[in-house]
Amino acid sequence: MFGISFLSPLFLIGALAAAVPILLHLFHRRPEAVIEFPAVRLLTGAPVPQHRRRRLRDLILLALRVAALVLLAVSFARPYVAGAAAPASAPVTVVVLDVSGSMSAPGQFARAQQAASRAIAQAPSGQAVAVVTFADAATIAVAPTSDRGGALAAIAAATAGAGGTRYRTALARASEAIGPRPGRVVIVSDLQQAGWETNDAGGLPDGVTVEVVTVPGPAGNLAVTSAVSRDRVVTATVQSYGADQATVDVALVVGGREVARTTATLAPSAAAEIELRGGFGDAGYGQVVIDDAVGYQHDNVRYVAVTPPPATPIAVLVADPTGTTGGIYVERALAVAGEGREFAVTVADGRALSKWTTAELSRHAALVILGTRTLDRSGRQLVQGYLAGGGQVLLTLGPDVDPGTLGDVIGTDLGVGPAAVRAAGATLVPADTRHPIFRPFLVPAGALGDVQIEQHRRLKIQDAAVLARLTGGDVALTEQTVGQGRLLVFASDLDNQWSRFPLHPSFVPFTVEAARYLTRGRQQRHVFTLPEVPAGAAAEPGVTLVGEGASARQVVVNVDARESSPAATSVDEFTRGISRTSRSAQEELAGGAREIEDRQRWWQVGLLVMLAALAGEALVGRRAT
Amino acid sequence: MAGEARFLDPAIVARLGTIDLKARTIVEGFLTGLHRSPYKGFSVEFAEYRQYLPGDDLATLDWKVFARSDRHFVKKYEEETNLTCHLLLDVSRSMGYGSGPITKLQYGSYLTGALAYLMHRQRDAFGLIAFDDRIASLLPASARAGHLRAVLLALERMPLGARTNVAKPLHDLAAAVRKRGLVVLVSDLLDEPQAVLDGLKHFRYRGTDVVVFHVLDPYELRFPFEQAARFRDMETADEVLAVPSAVRAGYLERMQEMIAHYKRELGLVGIDYCLLDTSQPLELGLMAYLMTRRRVL
Repeated sequence: MFGISFLSPLFLIGALAAAVPILLHLFHRRPEAVIEFPAVRLLTGAPVPQHRRRRLRDLILLALRVAALVLLAVSFARPYVAGAAAPASAPVTVVVLDVSGSMSAPGQFARAQQAASRAIAQAPSGQAVAVVTFADAATIAVAPTSDRGGALAAIAAATAGAGGTRYRTALARASEAIGPRPGRVVIVSDLQQAGWETNDAGGLPDGVTVEVVTVPGPAGNLAVTSAVSRDRVVTATVQSYGADQATVDVALVVGGREVARTTATLAPSAAAEIELRGGFGDAGYGQVVIDDAVGYQHDNVRYVAVTPPPATPIAVLVADPTGTTGGIYVERALAVAGEGREFAVTVADGRALSKWTTAELSRHAALVILGTRTLDRSGRQLVQGYLAGGGQVLLTLGPDVDPGTLGDVIGTDLGVGPAAVRAAGATLVPADTRHPIFRPFLVPAGALGDVQIEQHRRLKIQDAAVLARLTGGDVALTEQTVGQGRLLVFASDLDNQWSRFPLHPSFVPFTVEAARYLTRGRQQRHVFTLPEVPAGAAAEPGVTLVGEGASARQVVVNVDARESSPAATSVDEFTRGISRTSRSAQEELAGGAREIEDRQRWWQVGLLVMLAALAGEALVGRRAT
Repeated sequence: MAGEARFLDPAIVARLGTIDLKARTIVEGFLTGLHRSPYKGFSVEFAEYRQYLPGDDLATLDWKVFARSDRHFVKKYEEETNLTCHLLLDVSRSMGYGSGPITKLQYGSYLTGALAYLMHRQRDAFGLIAFDDRIASLLPASARAGHLRAVLLALERMPLGARTNVAKPLHDLAAAVRKRGLVVLVSDLLDEPQAVLDGLKHFRYRGTDVVVFHVLDPYELRFPFEQAARFRDMETADEVLAVPSAVRAGYLERMQEMIAHYKRELGLVGIDYCLLDTSQPLELGLMAYLMTRRRVL
């Protein structure tokens, strides 16, 4: 059903002015001109005006005048056709349905659908309804509409998937659906505790009432939370989330055939590592399967790659000979990525690296420069050529870097000062938290704020983007292209000399993300955890072929193990966890309606018709006189 | 209109002072024009002396001749007559209508005044009867000096009356007039035509000559209204809601029928009929009167 909405509905009050001509028509009889005339008796019997025609003409005039006034008011109210959407001013009930993996216990999602359908049916008459489904991402399945049948059909068509739970994302989407309307949100969920743990943002506008319908999960759940293959032995971790001891069969299935099976006995709320040995044959992938008929179904299978992809080679250039002090923090940080198999780190001092061939250096996906003091001329040319030829370099400006020869090393002048700048208490402040390097620090935003940089070097910003600054205003991290390569410059060191950053918990994710950022396109990850999936792959667990031609490869996508925990919050805790946003912020959401209205511009049509009505009124009125 | 150029516009006459001045201006101008016209003989001119006979009015004695010759002679004038004229002026409410600068009553008053002035110059006896549905004012016919002033004063102060009922005053007057003479009726004749005709015929039966001045307003003759209006009768207050464009043709047809009817019926009984439009010169009325007078005498 199509609905007409108004951008400025208050102007519709002006339509009341249409009552004026109606009242005048009803109560004000315009007296005809009276002419004193002596020969009136000669007029007797003359055709008198046809009152029926005159009345009809008066009605046409009335209709034209009323139409003109109404059209004027309607045009100023800026009407637009919002398709099946309900008017922007209509109150709305938004049903937010949890379709995450924690809703996949037998019978659980059917109960959730019934609760959601009930909420739709019980929404006050005259209110619009909307449906939002959510897991890792939230979707407005049905925008605010008066079509309740459509909303019920959308609920019936929903299925519980394998995604995680993100309440804030769901609330943000519900808030978007509500827009500037008065609204009520009915959340149908198991209230899984893990839903609040993700680093996202979102809340509901002030004044929106919240009703929580709990669909409890199972009392216990068994899940395969990890599975790795080493030396053709698969080690799987099976977790019990129940209060009772549980016994479960664990099988390794390769190519649709069970190649190994064992039985595990799990203590309450305990995990067990299960080793499964079996022949993989030519298959590169298998799946660990448990038989849990009571708990969540999405975590009963975990995919495992038999042959891990080759690690991405990264070189670390230090000043001191290998094995003394240099590079150990960066090496250890990169070593933990991808369960220790994402990066292959080679640490070399200047003298050793100077002997490398160009091909030997080019084999590395990225180069981290921590010191240049021992780098001779050929080594400097080697690094310069590597960068200009498309290499990826992370340059730190610690005490082991020689500013005098730095230009020869990277092939461009950074304007680095010879002396270090002491700025006690300076911390890192990302310029854009959406940059891939800072994505892990998005929430809480202060994670990097605890990192104190005691000394750093000042550098000129030339053709470089500033990714982070120090609290004093100096540049902390820049990104620029040099030749065909890319250069990240960190203004202090990463070797625990000018700062304690390597000892901070944020050092590992910072280093790993920086390395991942530099080696994008050369990594060959083969294991992903939802909601992260490779480009072109569906967001569901399983084995997926990505890439084309020679670069085509298979990757496995597993569910997030956090989704396996049935631990739930109470309704009160859940309600308290909802952050509230001001209505003024919601006004931005009305921008969508404004855009629609701007495209349609019905107000112009209204004014044109109004002018036509006025012209018609003038014409009919003139003929009447 | 070239022929009418030498006459006075009624609108200009209306701006002159008293009705005395108006009448004199109209008549003197008219007579001056007549001296250059083929209508010679209408003016009052000295004819001869004759011997005084007992019974002659002493006022007619020429004392200068008596002083020179010691004999009594009296003046004899060419146009000296004994015509008695009754001026009947309709003062009903319908005569108060005027679409232009003067109303029909004003026009009729000026015409009546001018006729009285002319009669006075011709030594005719004249009287004035103003009427609506009854005789409102009556000045008996007389040729005395000072009678003209009384008539003109009465015309100047003539109030507007009520409904027209031409027949009754005509019958009353016809019954009262004993001497043959001339009756001049100035009216818009917006009454029952047959009653009007009966009243006028009454005069004819008694041997009295009659001339009728039918005074109408140009709007009555052309009905040039445009906007729809409620037309209210000035005498009966009857109203007719009419769109002029729709009723004009029928109205004009009926108006012309009425005029033609009066002209035809009056002509049959020997009554002169003169239709006057208030925008036309008053001299046309004087002309019609003199034509009638010549025929009567």
